[in-house]
Amino acid sequence: MTAAAFLPWLIVAMIIVAAIQIGRRVMLWRQGRPAAVDWIAGLKALPRRYLVDVHHVVDRDRSASRMHVPTAGGLVLASGLLVLGLIPALAASHLYWALVALSFMVMTAGVVLETQRRYPRALPRLSLGRWQRLPVYLGVFAVCGLLTTVLAALGNPLPVLSLLLFFPTAAAGLALAATTATGPMRHALAGATHLVAHPRPQRFDPEAAKGEATGLRPLDLDAEKLGTETPADFAWNRLLAFDACVQCGRCEAACPAFAAGQPLSPKHLIADLAAASGGGHARAYAGQPYPNERATGGAAGAHTAIVSPEGLVHPDTLWSCTTCRACVEECPMMIEHVDAIVDLRRFQTLERGAVPMKAEEPLAHYRGCDEPNGRPLFERTDFAAGLSLPRIVEKGEAEVLLWLGQAAYDLRGQRTLKALIQTLNAAGVDFAVLGGQERDCGDLARRLGDEATFQRLARANVETLSRYRFGRILTADPHALHVIRNEYPAFGGAYKVVHHTAFLAELVESGRLAPASLAGRTITYHDPCYLGRYNGEVEAPRALLDALGLERREMARSGKRSMCCGGGGGAPSADVPGDTRIPDIRMGQVKETGAKTVAVACPQCTAMLEGVTGERPEVKDVAELLWEAIEAGRRKPAGAAAARELEPA
Amino acid sequence: MKTVVLLSDARNPVSGRAQLSRLEAQAIGLAAELDESPQGLHVGPGEEGVSAGLGHGLCGLDVIEAPEGEDPLPALAAFLATSLKSDEPPALVLCGRRGEGGLDTGLVPYLLAEALGLPILADAVALRPGEASDTLVVDQAMAKGARRRVTIRLPAIVTVHPLAPPPLPFAFGRMRRGEIRRHAADVSEVPVDVDAGERPHRARPKLMRTAGTASGGANLHVGPDPEEAARLILAYLEDNGIRRYGQG
Ligand code: SF4
Ligand code: SF4
Repeated sequence: MTAAAFLPWLIVAMIIVAAIQIGRRVMLWRQGRPAAVDWIAGLKALPRRYLVDVHHVVDRDRSASRMHVPTAGGLVLASGLLVLGLIPALAASHLYWALVALSFMVMTAGVVLETQRRYPRALPRLSLGRWQRLPVYLGVFAVCGLLTTVLAALGNPLPVLSLLLFFPTAAAGLALAATTATGPMRHALAGATHLVAHPRPQRFDPEAAKGEATGLRPLDLDAEKLGTETPADFAWNRLLAFDACVQCGRCEAACPAFAAGQPLSPKHLIADLAAASGGGHARAYAGQPYPNERATGGAAGAHTAIVSPEGLVHPDTLWSCTTCRACVEECPMMIEHVDAIVDLRRFQTLERGAVPMKAEEPLAHYRGCDEPNGRPLFERTDFAAGLSLPRIVEKGEAEVLLWLGQAAYDLRGQRTLKALIQTLNAAGVDFAVLGGQERDCGDLARRLGDEATFQRLARANVETLSRYRFGRILTADPHALHVIRNEYPAFGGAYKVVHHTAFLAELVESGRLAPASLAGRTITYHDPCYLGRYNGEVEAPRALLDALGLERREMARSGKRSMCCGGGGGAPSADVPGDTRIPDIRMGQVKETGAKTVAVACPQCTAMLEGVTGERPEVKDVAELLWEAIEAGRRKPAGAAAARELEPA
Repeated sequence: MKTVVLLSDARNPVSGRAQLSRLEAQAIGLAAELDESPQGLHVGPGEEGVSAGLGHGLCGLDVIEAPEGEDPLPALAAFLATSLKSDEPPALVLCGRRGEGGLDTGLVPYLLAEALGLPILADAVALRPGEASDTLVVDQAMAKGARRRVTIRLPAIVTVHPLAPPPLPFAFGRMRRGEIRRHAADVSEVPVDVDAGERPHRARPKLMRTAGTASGGANLHVGPDPEEAARLILAYLEDNGIRRYGQG
C-alpha cells in the first residue's frame, strides 16, 4: 500500500468535510425568504454562465483569469481523477498516476501565479487574512500532491518520502475543505449555486435587452414588513449571493463613493452582509476599511437588524451609494449589490422613516405635489415660452411624446431641453408633451427607498399615458428613460422609450437634419450610468458626436465601465460627507483627456459636472452640440467652415 | 399622558391636495414625547391628507365624518367632551395655529376651549410633564425669539408654534399600521357658540412697540389686583383708540 493510495480517501474525506461545512451554510440560506428559482433552466445554463459570463468579467483582469483557470481547473481535475482512483485497476496504473500528477502540476502553476498577485505585497483591493493564507494551503496541497503522485507514477521508489509528503497534503487539503463554511473556499460552491439560482436570470440572456435585468422589482406594499431589516428578510438566493463573494475588490475599485472617501465599499458591504447572516461571531474582515469608517456595534445574526448603530452596517454606508451599478458590472461573482442596497433602504425609509435629513424634503414634496422640487406641475413648460411646444391634450396623438422630466425646472436643464425642442421642430418631428399632466417619474423616490410614493406615481403616470396615442416616448433624462422603459411595465405600462441621443442619431442618419461640421473641437463623452450600464446604450451618442465631426477622446473609464458623476440614487440628497466630491474626480478624468468639452447626455450629470468649480472643460449636452451644429449649418452652407474652438466658460 | 392632536383640513399650497399641516405634524412630534400612543382627531369627509399623521408618529386617528366645508367645531367639541368624561380622559389637546385650507379663522382652539371649559395656551415649542401630577411645563415662543416657561394645570389645550422641533420623519409602514376609527358626527351634547360674530372692518391705529416682551417703563404695574389690572388695560386700549367704549 503506497501513500498515494490514501489520496483518493483524502479527497473523500475533504468532500465530506466540505459537505458538512456547506451544509451549515445551507441551513443559513434557508432562513432567508423563499424565492422562485427555475432550477432546471439554471442548471442547463450553468456552463454557459460560468464559461462565458463569468469568464468575460474575470478576464478583464488578465492576471486573475490566468491564475484562476489552472488553479481551479487543476484542483477539480486532480480531485476528480483521484476519486476514480478508488477503482483498484486504475490505482495500479502508472499512467493514471502520471495523469493525476499532471493535474497537480497545472494547479501548482496556477498557485504560483496567484502567489505573485499577493506576495510580497497584495493588490490593495484584495483582502488579506484568510485570503492571504489561501495560496499557502493551495500551494502545499498542490506541490505535495504533485510529488506524491509523481513518486506513485514512478512505481513508488521512496515510500517513506511519499508518506512524509502525504501528511502535509492531507493537512492542507482538509484545511481547504474546512474553509468552505466561512472562509475563502466558500466561493466555489456558493458561486456555482448562485449562477444556477441567480435572482436575475435575464442578465445572462444575450438576447434580452440590458434594461430588463437592471430594473428594480416592485415591492409588495401589503407585505407584513416592508423592505429588508435582518438577513432573514433577504430572499435565500440573495444570502447565497453574499456567500459567493471572493473579496476580489473589483467592485470597490470601481465604486465612486469609495473613491470620494465616503464610508462605502461594496466589497466590505457584501462581506458584512455575509457575516451578518452567519451571526454570533465578530466579522473577520481583512480588506480596506470603509473610508472614514463610522463606528457600529457589530451585532450580527439572522434576526438582528443589519443597518443600525448597534448592527454591522452604518446608515451612512447605505446612503452613500449612487446606485451607479459599477460594482455589479465589475463583479465576477455576478452579485447584485444595488438590489441589496435598495432593499435595505426600503426598510429604513418605509418602516423607520430614517432617511437622511436632507432627503426628507424631496420625499415630502413628492407626497404633497408629485415633484421632488416642490414646483407646480403646470409650470413644467414655462421655460419653453416662445418655442413651439405642442401639448398632447390639444393634439390627442403624436408620433413622439416628449417626456420633459425634472430638467424642465432647472435653468441649466432648460438650456438642453430648448436645444432639443428646437432640433425636433427643425426636423419636423411630430411631437407633443404632457405639459401639466406629467408627474415626476418617481426615480428619486424609488432609489431613496420610498416605494410607496414611486408606485403611486407610476400608476398615475401610466393612467395619464393611457389616455393618449403616441408611438414612442422620447426623453433627455436617462433616469426617466430607465424607469419608464424598464420599471413601469410592472404597473401595466409598456412603452417604447427612446433616449434623445439615440433619437437624434436616427434623425441625422436618415438625413432629416443637416448639421454643419464642428470639426476642430476636441471632446470627450461621459456615459450616464442609467443609459450606459443600465440600458447598454453607449454607441448612439458616440455616433452622433462623430457625425458632428468632433474629435472624440475616450476617458480611461467609459462605456459600460464608465464612472458615475455622483448624481444618481439620491446621493446628492443624502449628501453623505466624504473627502472629495465624486464629480470632481470625474472632471479630473475629463481633464486627463485634454478635451475642451465634455459631452453629457443626462440632466443629473450636467448638474453635477457643472457644479465643479475652477478652470475646467465646458459641459455640453449632446443635444446642445447638435443644435449648435444645425445653427452653424444655417448660417453657412453645410460643412463650409470649421467652427472655432470655444473657450471654456 | 394621554394626548390628542387635532388635525385640520390642510391643502398643499402647490397642488391643492389634502395634506397634513406641517405645524400639526410638529404637534404630533411634541405629543409623541409625552404619550407612547398619541391619537389624532379630525372632522371632515375622510382621512385623506390627515392619515399622514399616522406616518409621522400618531398611533390612532379618530375621524368624525362631516361634509366638506362644514364647521368642525360642534363635532370636535362633542367628541372631546365625551372623551373627557370617559375612564381615560385625554390630559392634553394639541393643535396648530390655524387650518391651512384657505378660509380658516384660527379660532377653533379658542372656541373649543371655551366650549369645553378648558384653559388654552398658545405657541408651545417644547412640552414636558410638570413635577406635580396633572401639570405640564410649556415653553412658549414669544416675539423676537424670546421664550417663556409656563406651568399649566391639565387638562388643557395647547397650540404649537412653528419654531417647535421639526416633525418626526414620515414612515409609510407606520401609517399603514395606524388605526383609523370612523365616527358619525354627534353634535347634540355641547352647546357651542359658533357664531363668532361679524363686524365691519374698522381701521385701527398701529401700536408702537417700545420693547420686547419684557417691556417695562411708565406702564409697568407690579402685582395690581385683578380689578385694577383690568381697568388699567381697558383704559390703555381706549386711550390708544384700539377699543372704543361699549363697541367691543
Ligand atoms: S462583491 Fe464581487 S466584485 Fe466585490 S469583492 Fe465580492 S466578488 Fe469581488
Ligand atoms: S452602485 Fe456605485 S456607488 Fe453604489 S456601491 Fe456600487 S459602485 Fe458604489
